[in-house]
Amino acid sequence: MKTAREIWYLLQKELVLEWRQRYALSGILLYVLSTIFIVYSGFQQKLAAPLWNVVFWIIMLFASVNAVVKSFVQESGYRQLYYYTLVNPLALLMAKVLYNTLLLLFIGLLTLIVFGMVAGNPVEQVGMFAGIIGLGSLGFGIIFTFISAIAARTRHSATLMAILSFPLVIPVLMELIKLSLTAMGFTESTGIEKDVMILLGIDLMLMGLAMVLFPFLWRD
Amino acid sequence: MMHWLRTQGWKYLGLVLVLYSIVMGMVVPLHSGISARTPLSADAGDTVAMHVEGYNTHFAQAQEELRAWLMLDDSLTLAASRIAVQDDRHLVATFVLPPLLPTEKQVANFTLVIDNPIDGVTLLPEALFVRQDTVAPQAVVWQGGPEMARLHKGPALTFPFRNILRETIRNTYFHVPMWFAMILVFIGSVVYSIRYLRRQQPTDDAYAAALTTTGIVLGMLGLFTGMIWANYTWGRPWSGDIKQNMTAIALLVYLAYFVLRYSLEDREVRARVSAAYNVFAFAALIPLIFVIPRLTDSLHPGNGGNPAIGSEDLDNTMRLVFYPAVIGWTLIGYWISQLLWRINRLEERLLDEE
Repeated sequence: MKTAREIWYLLQKELVLEWRQRYALSGILLYVLSTIFIVYSGFQQKLAAPLWNVVFWIIMLFASVNAVVKSFVQESGYRQLYYYTLVNPLALLMAKVLYNTLLLLFIGLLTLIVFGMVAGNPVEQVGMFAGIIGLGSLGFGIIFTFISAIAARTRHSATLMAILSFPLVIPVLMELIKLSLTAMGFTESTGIEKDVMILLGIDLMLMGLAMVLFPFLWRD
Repeated sequence: MMHWLRTQGWKYLGLVLVLYSIVMGMVVPLHSGISARTPLSADAGDTVAMHVEGYNTHFAQAQEELRAWLMLDDSLTLAASRIAVQDDRHLVATFVLPPLLPTEKQVANFTLVIDNPIDGVTLLPEALFVRQDTVAPQAVVWQGGPEMARLHKGPALTFPFRNILRETIRNTYFHVPMWFAMILVFIGSVVYSIRYLRRQQPTDDAYAAALTTTGIVLGMLGLFTGMIWANYTWGRPWSGDIKQNMTAIALLVYLAYFVLRYSLEDREVRARVSAAYNVFAFAALIPLIFVIPRLTDSLHPGNGGNPAIGSEDLDNTMRLVFYPAVIGWTLIGYWISQLLWRINRLEERLLDEE
């Protein structure tokens, strides 16, 4: 119960922090918008569904990395240590994962709306696609948060973040692309539960591991 | 004896097994086979002079006892009426096809069987397609000539002849064992990383790093031997096959491990953080290597309807070389890792003395 309350307070803290220093959030939004505009002006036409799908997830991937990389570096090391003495470190990790998942969900839905407006929207089942974005946000949130905790220990965290996390998200990304093709009516929806179960399985396993390994990362 | 095996012997065992698999893999000949034949199809009632090209065959030496059949199924065979040998690898077998075939289909496909005491029996499935205009299986009185019996076994120690693979079947003792060894070495690396996180002994971290290095090398060797193989059997070195892509990603993950190590200065932090990454990365690789390739079509055996290792791909002679090769390459991998670890330890000792 105590941990749940801690997670809740930390989540509020993250939101307030994000709202007070709006540069990060607005930076990500501008990043998404300008990427979409570049893609749109590059193609100059409506994209076919499979292409649209891949471009969407690539925009989502890069925006996610940029959004999450600051997780463990935006506050000074001393203040981080202070948090760890104040609350359960695992609560801190879970709050960050939860917050990043929500942030990525927001970015994903925004990308869907804007990209759909400028490049056409081939998605037939929007509800299902939103669900897939949710699944993707969870997977990206877990992997990127953990890797950002690793990358925060180095001096070149932004570079290392991309190097370390891109190969690791590929399984998740492949499943997401496969699932979203179904939401576009491009492939049959048979066996969709299996893909969802695999995604959730990967998420669950990585989250468990992140929680086991996190105590080794924050200590100095 | 057991003590010696644990401390020193396993290295020599690995060396002996790898050398054994290389020698055996290269020296043991392929079983005889049929590499080409013309014509590919004929009409019922024709007299077909079939030009056969053999592989590793001794037609000229076995001329007297050479026999050939066309086989529709186990009970229906048609013996060649005449066999003219040109040389060891070429012969012309003449078959007199009956006007009516004992099948309900318009087209029947026959397997070509050639037998002689030197090479043993060889088969070529779907060797001849025979068309018939009228289908009347009840009216057929089959006269197949001498029946297919007393077939010879041929030389005992041979690798199977497969039509697309041919001599490249020997790559089974290099490509596949290197892959198995890579996985076993990476597992060892994760075990040492976990041990480091539990006990904080610097040696464990150095061991994990050394094992990862060896694993990457084995993975690259597996990838390159696979590309050479693919060039012969699939037509080009890189076909974007799911397992090729996954391997490339796995190698990226482990190369990133070293980038991470180099970017951390403090030895203790480096050991801790890279151990945590190693465990996390290995877990993320499990779906990459074991789950996703099974969900997608692949050109590899065992996927998309292709036969897998352990069924007809690996006969007993091949097992005799394959399993020692797996054990040998794994032991060699661990030996090289131990050497790397020793070099690393000496270097650190030198640094400390300065």
